[in-house]
Amino acid sequence: MVLDGKQPPYVPWDCKFTIEALDKMKAHYGDDVDVEELVDNHFIKLGASSGFKINIGNDRKKDIFGVIWDMTHEKDIGNVEGLVLPEPTLDGYEFPDPNNPMLYDGMEEKIAANKDKFILYSIGFSLFERYWTLRGMENAFLDFMMYPDFVKDLMRKIADFNIAVIKNVCERYPEVDGIYFGDDWGAQKKLMMGKDVWIEFIYPELKRMYANTKAHGKYQLIHSCGDIEEIIPELIEAGVNCINPFQPEVLDVDDLLNTYRGKVAFHGGLSTQKTLPYGTVEDVVAETKHLLEMGKDGGYIFCPSHATEGDTPIENIVAFIDLIKAQKC
Amino acid sequence: MEELFEQLAYCIEYGKINKPSPFPPDMKDKDGADEITQQLLNEGISADDILQKALIVGMEKVGVKFRENKVFVPQVLMSAKAMDAAMAHLKPHFANSPGSQKGTFIIGTVEGDLHDIGKNLVAMMVEGNGYEVIDLGTDVKAEKFIEAAEQYPGAVIGLSALLTTTMNNMEEITKAIKSHNRNIAICIGGAPVNQDFCDKIGADSYNPDPQGVVEFLNKTVE
Ligand code: B12
Repeated sequence: MVLDGKQPPYVPWDCKFTIEALDKMKAHYGDDVDVEELVDNHFIKLGASSGFKINIGNDRKKDIFGVIWDMTHEKDIGNVEGLVLPEPTLDGYEFPDPNNPMLYDGMEEKIAANKDKFILYSIGFSLFERYWTLRGMENAFLDFMMYPDFVKDLMRKIADFNIAVIKNVCERYPEVDGIYFGDDWGAQKKLMMGKDVWIEFIYPELKRMYANTKAHGKYQLIHSCGDIEEIIPELIEAGVNCINPFQPEVLDVDDLLNTYRGKVAFHGGLSTQKTLPYGTVEDVVAETKHLLEMGKDGGYIFCPSHATEGDTPIENIVAFIDLIKAQKC
Repeated sequence: MEELFEQLAYCIEYGKINKPSPFPPDMKDKDGADEITQQLLNEGISADDILQKALIVGMEKVGVKFRENKVFVPQVLMSAKAMDAAMAHLKPHFANSPGSQKGTFIIGTVEGDLHDIGKNLVAMMVEGNGYEVIDLGTDVKAEKFIEAAEQYPGAVIGLSALLTTTMNNMEEITKAIKSHNRNIAICIGGAPVNQDFCDKIGADSYNPDPQGVVEFLNKTVE
């Protein structure tokens, strides 16, 4: 409803928490509390937000693209170790199989258990991030300049893989409502790679992926951190229905909601860089209320502008959870 | 001569590494930073002059354009690569006459923080502006900063944090360094960091972009 630009009975929400924040919540609400149940999100996300990984021991994981992740410091996503593609060539590299059952593991059960929710299949690290996890961050930026043909080739193959996954998901699980693409392009100011580079290398493949999702009749939601305002028109043009995380420190939340209502929805908006960690309960209440008020006219789904971090006082977490849930009463 | 300095500064500004490098496309088959630096040295120009009159000039232009959002991370990295190619020729000369670099800058992301794109850019820009840079990498503890500061007396320390969670560590590290030796100058930066925070934790300088650190260093380091 919200994604179609219509007015909802109340503002829907979908909030995530990091492991450290979850620990705080357990300490507050009790160990046996099911946080999913407590928060009662409107989305259920299947798939994987940062790739499919298996444990290989020594606090390391390996994803299906062959990337090794060191989990010692960063426990949610991990930190890339070594390079799968040290040179700008795909010689000797084999792409993962989009039919790998791991990609669809447990989907049936989860769908059956969450029939009342908006069911999303998450393709995390969907393009640029997949590229840099394979080539390394610095190489990724340099490749745009030095090896444009290679970049286009690898981007295309990554998109082809995703398109094959989207096809499988949509054909096998008609209950899925939408695809959730994660890929960070924004910095605190503007795009990390600049708009020209984004348009030349990233946008063509996004359009292909999004057109495929549309062809299956699904919604498409995207996540990109940072200041992505300059590309919102292009994203709308490519058929995006919803943009997350809507970082309020870098985007003018009120202005964007009003400008784009009916064209694209926003999901996020509660400050994780300022209000949640440093604000008082009153600050959190005021900002949350304002967002919910803005969202009454539609085009908005509530959540903090990133998984809530462990530095957020528990009182602040409780404050926004109470407010969003109170809407239903 | 002036013309070669200008050409070299241009190569740094636009990221032309060497002749074979395909970037930028409109400089195909032209000499890059590598060849021109060698040519200048062959003509008897001092490494110091090359650094001051060409490399720093080019790098400063990049810094300003980056600050104004006219170029982005890829272009800055290309400039840094061109700079590396030039410095490879100059370093042996500097090694023979210590002190020709302007000063030393120690940088790292604070404990718990793995975001290093911004830190790397700062390191490159500072290096490109004639300073020796000691890059301690990511997830760096207070002790390591202090150790490095002991090793390079007079060095300025740069701390980078991209997370509100690691800003707390930035505060602790700043306090630890200052209580060890309060004369060590500390610069801080990163997306969530601001001037208020800098004042609060007692760091010496906050800057939202690399060019700002360079300006601070140029003022502070004599
Ligand atoms: C790319 C990115 C990542 C990459 C990092 C890859 C890498 N090798 O660096 C990955 C995917 C690994 C990542 C991981 C995480 N990230 Co992250 N990430 C970003 C993103 C999108 C861009 C950061 C970036 O590189 N920008 C480009 C560079 C050029 O800019 P910069 O770093 O700001 O640096 C500039 C200035 O700040 C300054 N500067 C930087 N350092 C210094 C130092 C000095 C001395 C000075 C003077 C200046 C200075 O100069 C630089 C050039 O102008 C930001 C979004 C944002 N708003 O910034 C989120 C962001 C920083 N991440 C965030 C989060 C939450 C995380 C994770 C915790 C995610 C998770 N696990 O759920 C992890 C934490 C990992 C860890 N322990 O460090 C949040 C932080 C929120 C908060 N509470 O503070 C952000 C803001 C996104 C958001 N939605 O809110 N991330």
